[in-house]
Amino acid sequence: MALLGLRAALPGPARLRGGGIPWSVLRTYSSASPKEKAARNAVCERTELLEAVLKARVKQLQASNVPEVMVNKVELAPLGSDKYQDPLGKAVAPGPTEEKPAASGQGEGPAQPSSWVEKLKKEMYIRQLKVEQKLSIAASRPALEGQAKAKPKGKAKDKAKAKVKAKKSQKNQKSAKAKVAAARSHAVSHSVYSPSKPRAVAVKKAAKAQRSQRVPGAKDSNQYKVLQQTILSNLECFLFLQQPEEAERLLLLYHSSPVKRRLLNISAYDVVMRSWARKGHLQRINRLFSMLESVGLRPSLDSYSAALECMGRNQSSPKVIQRCVQQLKKDGFHVDELFQQCLFEEDEKEKVLSAIRIVQPNYQLPPPPKPQTCKASLLPDFYSKEKMVSYPKLDFSVQELQERFQQQLEMELDNTVTIESVESAKPLTPQAIKARKVLATLRSQWHDSILQALQKSKRSMSRLKTASGYNMLYPYLYLLPDEEYVGIMLQILNTLSPQGESLAVLARELGSKVYNRYITQRKLRSRQLEKVQEIYEDYIHLLAKDSQPDEYLPREYWEKLVAEAGFGPSLNLKDCSWPYMLLMRLGMHMLELLVKAVKVPRNILNPRLEPKLIPVLYHIYSFRSSWQVGLIKPHPIFSQIVSDAAETLLTFNSSAIPMLCPPVPWTSPHFGAFVLNDTKLMRFVDGAVQHQMLLEQCPLVNLHPVLDALNQLGNCAWKINQPVLDIIISIFNDKGNEKLDIPPPISEAPRPPAASSNSSTWNKSQKHKFLLCKKKAAEMHSLRMDALYKLSIANYVRDKVFWFPHNMDFRGRTYPCPPYFNHLGNDVTRAILLFAEGKPLGPNGLDWLKIHLINLTGLKKKNALQERLEYANEIMEEILDSADHPLTGRKWWMNTDEPWQALACCMEIARASRSPDPAAYVSHFPVHQDGSCNGLQHYAALGRDLIGAISVNLMPCSVPQDVYSAVAQQVEEFRKKDAEQGVKIARVLQGFISRKVVKQTVMTVVYGVTRYGGRLQMEKRLKETEEFPEEYLWEASHYLVKQVFNGIKEMFSATRDIQTWLTESAKLIAQSGQTVEWVTPLGLPIVQPYYRSRSTVLNCGMQNLSVKTSTTNQKPDTVKQKNAFPPNFIHSLDSTHMMLTALHCLRQGLTFVSVHDCYWTHALTVDVMNQICRQQFVALHSEKILQDLSEFMLEKYCSPGRETRALWQKKLMEQLSNVPRTGEFNLKKVMDSTYFFS
Amino acid sequence: GPGILTRTLLNAGVRVVALENNSAFLPNLQSLENSLDGQLKVIYGDFFRLDPLVSGTVKPPAMCSDKLFETMGVAAVPWRADVPLKVFGILPQRKERVTLWRLLFALYECSSIYRCGRVELNIFISEKEYKVLTAKPGEARAYQALTVLWQVGCEIQLLHMEPWSSFVTNLKNGGLAIPKTRWLPNDHLCLVRLTPQQNLFTGALKPTNSATFIFMVKQCLVKPKSKLTDRLNSWSLDNGGKLLRALEIPKNAQTRNLYPEDYRRLFEVLQNSSVFTETWFHDEVLESIRNINL
Repeated sequence: MALLGLRAALPGPARLRGGGIPWSVLRTYSSASPKEKAARNAVCERTELLEAVLKARVKQLQASNVPEVMVNKVELAPLGSDKYQDPLGKAVAPGPTEEKPAASGQGEGPAQPSSWVEKLKKEMYIRQLKVEQKLSIAASRPALEGQAKAKPKGKAKDKAKAKVKAKKSQKNQKSAKAKVAAARSHAVSHSVYSPSKPRAVAVKKAAKAQRSQRVPGAKDSNQYKVLQQTILSNLECFLFLQQPEEAERLLLLYHSSPVKRRLLNISAYDVVMRSWARKGHLQRINRLFSMLESVGLRPSLDSYSAALECMGRNQSSPKVIQRCVQQLKKDGFHVDELFQQCLFEEDEKEKVLSAIRIVQPNYQLPPPPKPQTCKASLLPDFYSKEKMVSYPKLDFSVQELQERFQQQLEMELDNTVTIESVESAKPLTPQAIKARKVLATLRSQWHDSILQALQKSKRSMSRLKTASGYNMLYPYLYLLPDEEYVGIMLQILNTLSPQGESLAVLARELGSKVYNRYITQRKLRSRQLEKVQEIYEDYIHLLAKDSQPDEYLPREYWEKLVAEAGFGPSLNLKDCSWPYMLLMRLGMHMLELLVKAVKVPRNILNPRLEPKLIPVLYHIYSFRSSWQVGLIKPHPIFSQIVSDAAETLLTFNSSAIPMLCPPVPWTSPHFGAFVLNDTKLMRFVDGAVQHQMLLEQCPLVNLHPVLDALNQLGNCAWKINQPVLDIIISIFNDKGNEKLDIPPPISEAPRPPAASSNSSTWNKSQKHKFLLCKKKAAEMHSLRMDALYKLSIANYVRDKVFWFPHNMDFRGRTYPCPPYFNHLGNDVTRAILLFAEGKPLGPNGLDWLKIHLINLTGLKKKNALQERLEYANEIMEEILDSADHPLTGRKWWMNTDEPWQALACCMEIARASRSPDPAAYVSHFPVHQDGSCNGLQHYAALGRDLIGAISVNLMPCSVPQDVYSAVAQQVEEFRKKDAEQGVKIARVLQGFISRKVVKQTVMTVVYGVTRYGGRLQMEKRLKETEEFPEEYLWEASHYLVKQVFNGIKEMFSATRDIQTWLTESAKLIAQSGQTVEWVTPLGLPIVQPYYRSRSTVLNCGMQNLSVKTSTTNQKPDTVKQKNAFPPNFIHSLDSTHMMLTALHCLRQGLTFVSVHDCYWTHALTVDVMNQICRQQFVALHSEKILQDLSEFMLEKYCSPGRETRALWQKKLMEQLSNVPRTGEFNLKKVMDSTYFFS
Repeated sequence: GPGILTRTLLNAGVRVVALENNSAFLPNLQSLENSLDGQLKVIYGDFFRLDPLVSGTVKPPAMCSDKLFETMGVAAVPWRADVPLKVFGILPQRKERVTLWRLLFALYECSSIYRCGRVELNIFISEKEYKVLTAKPGEARAYQALTVLWQVGCEIQLLHMEPWSSFVTNLKNGGLAIPKTRWLPNDHLCLVRLTPQQNLFTGALKPTNSATFIFMVKQCLVKPKSKLTDRLNSWSLDNGGKLLRALEIPKNAQTRNLYPEDYRRLFEVLQNSSVFTETWFHDEVLESIRNINL
């Protein structure tokens, strides 16, 4: 298939559109009608004629090849003479030679129809299209001499492209018109990668300009977006730096090249206008407006806001302003919209307003929009004003909360917090003192050399800038003071583990550190922080004990205050996130500086050696089967000094520390949690953009319940259980204790055999031992550091009250934001957390504490609550002994499932039982209630499976049911039958089927474990059973997994159907090229972020880095979409259940937090929480969840507007409509089930 | 398989021990074995699963080389002695590269099949791998760590080239299951003889320190266009420049421009100056071994 594009270039697209004769493009096949054939011939002739004139001999235009001219309206913008090959690679890191001033000032707009491929990418299947295109042939004629050039479009498929360059000065334009019959075109998406070979014969003079040219296909258009984003964030950097000249220079670089111009959208021009507006240069803004007109872009509201701001700043004449306002109205905007939609920064708003008031002296700001109320069917009364109750107060005065807010603010303004580690209690050795001195000297040297290297690289970049090229990284090295960059790099050096770290991780860390500080600066500069501060100070009146109670939710109250202050939407910062690529590139640049600059004298530890500087960091590759990872490792000399120095200061990002004041309530997907630190409402894997987009598209009112639930979880105040923390630290600083999960220090690591010093003579087993020791040491190091961080942070806040702001993953499961120390952590961290708020135990509280203790031990799992309580009373002596003499007594607590929480609970029980009136004893202790196999509970409820429901405790029973035992029993029955029938493996397995063997598989069945994974689990379990004959492992595990699946099928018949239905639906959706999306019953939109990863190679000096890219038009990963849908769907239900429970607990004044399916509250309120939890479970599953899902998906994927002819769609429709039938279980029974959550 | 190679070898009159990994083909081969008077010995086993890396019991067709040699009655000879054994085989296309690496490690460690001396390999490999093995310095894409290491380790002879088109296939699409290549030609199947160099371990290179050599070469050629001095510097070796001068390697030489022999000399100088044991390099090598053998 040959492709021939002929295009006359004209100064601007406007002229192109103006009349002319449409060309004809012919789709040809042997089946083409005679008429078509004739038309095709006509095209051939014309092309040949042109060629002759052009003197361009294009080889591909041979008789055998069918010339096709494909043009459409999109391509109207003439493409530049610059190569357009890899927009990303070029723009992100243009080498000095790569980029020449666009269009080289020749004023030519040579055209080439290349963007047709962009269209094609949407059409993986063959398709016919008709495009009409006007093209003036005559225009090109004068240009034909010598200027014409055939641009080779290298393709295995023989595509040729004739490219015509034309002179600007065209005189008589005769236009030719022809019909374009469009063509079927093979999807070329794959071939775009192949480098092109010049096939067409180049015309004279063209040789120089001949460069390999790629078709911007699917890949490029993905990168196109990234590039667009990159340009925008670069422009924003210049706005921030107050360098409008630079911003305009960059804009012009793109604007003046017709190819690159397509990368500019209106926001790019807006940013430049804003930077001029800030300086009051109205002429420049006018020029930009005319530039907009020349490229046919319509000014946006922001453009007008910038113009008006500038006029306000200059106090322009009413006539000018009037004209501007008129034009604004002509473009369909309204003056009020300026104040309702624009995200003003600094004094922009005041200036715009003053400009408006010059022409309309009485102009009043529009009133804030009325708050909307969510009408989720699951929360019928929650938002009704009549049933509003006042928000619970904290035990703080306004004054106290204000002070805490100041502390938090200062901490966040510093970006990092340096705290004493818990190891600082250890005495200092002379060796450590010496090493610290050495380290301090080295650090000051490194500081200087890094600073020098940074400045040098900045200088060389700015030199480059003045030459021809342009370095995209340039503005990013000016955003912060040099000292801050140096500080960031030194911090990375200090935290590097002796085992090293991969380049990608370090680069990302460096890049995001710079980004975070930039955001902080922007918030300061734009006066956003000021506004937040103002609102927050009023906001805490809702929470403080000494102010009037108010019947608002935190979010509502915040919104009300914002509206009253008249801030409009400007509390949100303009979205300015950097593309992931850019972050990585910046990080790599800094990493390279670091590696090059930081050196240490080789003889620092051994003075006998020659004094010579060697790099502290080295770069090395680690090989993993077929790929390799670049690592940065510290030189052993450096590691030695660091370990000798035993420094006890730890530096954290301020977002790693719990908040010292109540979090800023979530009011939108962009705003909430920390005061300054940028936090996303939804966590995502690096670079994934889909969730954020989905959330933005979703009407904010639909998100209210989710936001309110997150606010509720974040508003829980915490404090430290000091006695327990002290015991833990004492063990930690001693030798640790692996059994109690306190990681021992590295000094306790096994030593490698001290064989001969020359290791090259080691034999295999010596090497093996050495490696095992190293591996163990590395593991110990990371465990130790993790514990050190957690304990040090806990110790830092030991006397404070603190808060964990929450966000969620893409399924709505909630998480505390601070990463190291939080209530989701292990036994040790959970044991040192207490509710800051205390509540009396009440009549049942002490009993609940005792039951909770027995639950923590893992004993008496099969017994009724009453029996557990009795057991606790029986062993009261042990409990008190543990509480009184934890380390010297009989240590009963140490032999439990969760020893540290058990110990903490023992101490609480001891205190409560010894108080004069236990019912009045004020307890801060959280009591947990766990869902029993929560995933299966949701499945059983969805399918109304009777047997299943009984086995996961949805049915009231006198003793807790154990689904694992039930499945084991079922499997045993199958086995017996098979054994009787003479199945050999069934006989071998006699006596080996137990709860333990099947547990993991049953548990993970909910989360979509496959037969393959299940078999591996079984094999592991059987291997642990010593008596089991090894030779039968494979066969037995194979058999067992089959029977477990059968057993589950038998017990949860509807469950399996639902799972299959979900899987099949997801498969069909993914196969149709779409991602699986749904909405939770609470209104949270969800999209599965699994795409076929596409990676881009970042070409950096030190190493090429392969980075996964994510854009909106990626192909879904069918396997993952399909396999992950059932578990993700169930998780979205369990998170909904949790949120509903949280919201209703709030209404009842309960303290409530959750660890997914484990709910925490005070001992006093366990009964109430249990009731709410059951009510909400019943309410949730009384919704037609599956029907709703089916309807939503039918609407989304099979709505009649779409092409319904496709086979896949019929299949999908059938699949989606066929909702599985459900069983007989009466859902209401859950209300009376004691062991549903227990 | 059906024993075409085996029959060819038998017709040439040599004694053949055939390893067959597919039990379906065994009966046929065994009847052939019985019909011949001890000229053929058939063993159920897989040459490419000799000495598996995973610990635990070895189940056929995987097997241990020492057991195999015992059954074959082949005794170990010193390295410098003549070739004690010739191996003929076709490398599975999908595992070609992995197999070449494994054989290479065995060669440098004198382990597995190389325990009994300089075993000569006569193997069918794809043309693209052959191009890699025989690449010259500077050849983009083809000149790799594998090239250097095989060329230092073995004499490489091309015995025969057969176009892929000569082969029949049972694939539905009628094609052959040949990995696609982008940069190197791959139109033939090549019979290549790899004879270990007699003088491989005469210098500073020893089976005990060869892992360091392999590691060094791999590190150098990860990025073939990088300069050797940069590589040396990035390893915190403090005398890189002097070293290159001593070896008469130009200061700005790219790693892909060094001859295999240069790498060997570089290694020997570094080994003798005990640079390796003094720096972290040594630990890294040990670490890398974990991924190879142990």
